[in-house]
Amino acid sequence: MSVIERSIKVYEGSRIPSPIPTALKVDQEKHSLDDILTINFGPNHPSTHGVLRLIVDLDGEMVAGLSAVIGYLHTGFEKTMEQKTWWKCITYPERIDYVSFQANELAFVLAMEKLLEIEVPRKATWMRMCLAELTRIHSHLVWLGTSALELGAISMFWYTFDDRDATLDLFEMVCGTRMHTRYFQAGGLAEDIPEGFYDQAREWCKKMPKAIDEYEAILDRNAIWLKRTKGIGLLSADDAIALGQSGPVLRASGVNWDLRKSMPYLAYGEVDFDVPVFPEGDVYARYRVHMEEMRESVRIVAQCIERLAEMRGEPWIADDRKVVLPPREELHTSMESLIHHFKIVTEGYLVPEGEVYECVESPRGEFGVYLASDGGPKPWRVKFRAPSFVALQATATCMTDAAIADMIAIVGSLDGVMGEVDR
Amino acid sequence: MTVTYDGVPGLVETVGGHGETTLVVDAARIVEACSFLRDERRFNFLSDLTPTDYLGWASRGVAGHIGSHGGRDMHAPGSQGFARVPDPKPKRFAVNYHLLRISDDPERVRVQAWLDDGEEIDTVIPVWPTADWFEREAWDMFGIVFRGHPNLVRILMEDDWEGHPLRKDYPIGGEPVRFSGEE
Amino acid sequence: MALARKLPLISDRPLANAGLSSERVLMPNKGPGVFEEEIDGIEDALGITTVEKAVAWAQANSMWPDTFGLACCAIEMMSIVSSRYDISRFGMERFSSSPRQADLLIVSGRVTHKMAGPLRQVYDQMLEPKWVIAMGACASSGGMFNNYTVLQGVDKIVPVDIHVPGCPPRPEALMEGIVRLHEKIKAGVPPAYMIRGVAQ
Repeated sequence: MSVIERSIKVYEGSRIPSPIPTALKVDQEKHSLDDILTINFGPNHPSTHGVLRLIVDLDGEMVAGLSAVIGYLHTGFEKTMEQKTWWKCITYPERIDYVSFQANELAFVLAMEKLLEIEVPRKATWMRMCLAELTRIHSHLVWLGTSALELGAISMFWYTFDDRDATLDLFEMVCGTRMHTRYFQAGGLAEDIPEGFYDQAREWCKKMPKAIDEYEAILDRNAIWLKRTKGIGLLSADDAIALGQSGPVLRASGVNWDLRKSMPYLAYGEVDFDVPVFPEGDVYARYRVHMEEMRESVRIVAQCIERLAEMRGEPWIADDRKVVLPPREELHTSMESLIHHFKIVTEGYLVPEGEVYECVESPRGEFGVYLASDGGPKPWRVKFRAPSFVALQATATCMTDAAIADMIAIVGSLDGVMGEVDR
Repeated sequence: MTVTYDGVPGLVETVGGHGETTLVVDAARIVEACSFLRDERRFNFLSDLTPTDYLGWASRGVAGHIGSHGGRDMHAPGSQGFARVPDPKPKRFAVNYHLLRISDDPERVRVQAWLDDGEEIDTVIPVWPTADWFEREAWDMFGIVFRGHPNLVRILMEDDWEGHPLRKDYPIGGEPVRFSGEE
Repeated sequence: MALARKLPLISDRPLANAGLSSERVLMPNKGPGVFEEEIDGIEDALGITTVEKAVAWAQANSMWPDTFGLACCAIEMMSIVSSRYDISRFGMERFSSSPRQADLLIVSGRVTHKMAGPLRQVYDQMLEPKWVIAMGACASSGGMFNNYTVLQGVDKIVPVDIHVPGCPPRPEALMEGIVRLHEKIKAGVPPAYMIRGVAQ
């Protein structure tokens, strides 16, 4: 199948507003200015996935104008990371997209390893892939719970968060903490995989598909859900690409583009999975993409566990002591290990000069890290290309002819996480 | 399919490294170059638009990368711990455009344009509408003016903020940490 | 009262006798600090009548939090609503988006200078009595972000009753914070805005 499916046209032409592509201006031919009521939506509002402020011009129930104000969660990640050594920097990217935290870590660590030209053992590669897919499921569960909650399917929240807790149990078992695990290090993983992980993960893999079936049983044929999501928030493939969309939003507009298949990283070339693509370009299509992706992720996790179980006893981090902390036992006996540990923790390891741009397929789309190093112990420039930043730009295009209730559905389906948007 | 980058308008040089290609382009011809890349070379997706501030680059020596996975390369001066200074950059700001071709033959490329403080560059919104917020962020964080941008206002900082935070001469800010027991 | 852990009573301060069982109260030799100065003032306020006790019991057991989730801590706050770490056993599952109907402001996540204005507005719109929990390291003190944009501690703009450490705090940690808050209220400790005053 070619990448862009042209058989179904979601709409003719382009709906990207002009002159500002990201803001709807009131069309004075359709709406008289006397009828317009400007209301402020946020930044503290339950339905905006965080601190997003939308200034909406309403003509009755129809949205005539829209502009988004962001920056309420701008934490200055990029500037702060310029002050920290590379090893300390690893804890920062996780908090950017705080719902799919390990995906951010993965991108940053892969970018660092590209500059360091360090070889990662295969156990670490496969475990990273396993955790990246678990993160994808975690993120989709949170998305499903909150989006359904906003549209009125309140009970979904409790179901999805229960399964989310089961997923976080796996994270806690392996990485030591539920969220923000800092488990990926430059060169591999921070620690070995505990023995009980394999059995617990296998049980989880048996339970998850049944849970996903349950969610679909609740939502898929519910007339209210269908009415509120079908045909809402249309985005054509060409507009999606012009607006820089990626991830589920792009795949729901009929573009068969997934970095894991098209430009594979880690070991995605060696696992068996499909990429769901739906051509309708509406909120319902994005919902179906998320659900199918969860199923595919469970498949990948099951395959990873079987491969990892064979790799018991293999190293989980590279052997390069200039970059990787030595094991603690050695610190008592080996002078070199002590010195390496000291140098890495105080001055930090040195990453060679250069610039790289590394992307991963985060649950929201293409999460990219642009790293520029000057050969020193601290990064020179770190830039995170956040998919939600770009997804919010598409709000105005999706909102053509939308009512205010649709706005909730659309903003929810674009799956924005404000930590990513504002960084 | 290997793609050659000859014919990109304003191309100054092509740099490779770590498996990536960087096309350094004259800042005055950026819209031409980007339109060429989008139309002739089918780079239909602008992944990222990000400036970098190189103020203070090469002002201090760095020891260079001392180790590597396979061991030290005994011949590179950096590997013996000798201080070396990174090569100087042509101007202060580099504006990087990360492009991607979404198609059956995917490819990535980086387009780089160099600017001095105060120099302006044309907006690429006509080429890829997604550049809108990226350029606003570049203006907010670095103070780089994009000529022709329909709405070049603050996006991440407050509307009345002064200064451009990600510049190297802008302080990190913050406060000294207070400890209990101290006055 | 919900967890009812009986810690050995090392301190015979009035606060400990009133039912507060946090470490700083029970082990008074932990060190001098602002907290110890403050509780001298609080202890004068203890010794409440039966009517006030009843009112405090009602306030503590049906506090409605405000949906003020900002960042990562908001996700853990959402998980305390979920079935495993059920917050509805405290009567608090009804998160109110309208600050007019909320009693408790759980500031969960990093507060930027841009967000400080809306935060203060929401706090002002809440009706007395109102309490504030600063959840997580970022809300308590700025967390790992000490820079030009993050407010170094939300207690610069709103008076905070309970700080919950963690990055993000586990749901159980947030629950401990909530339990301590309930103990405070039932002991008769006034809300923070009466002790510390509110910056205007």
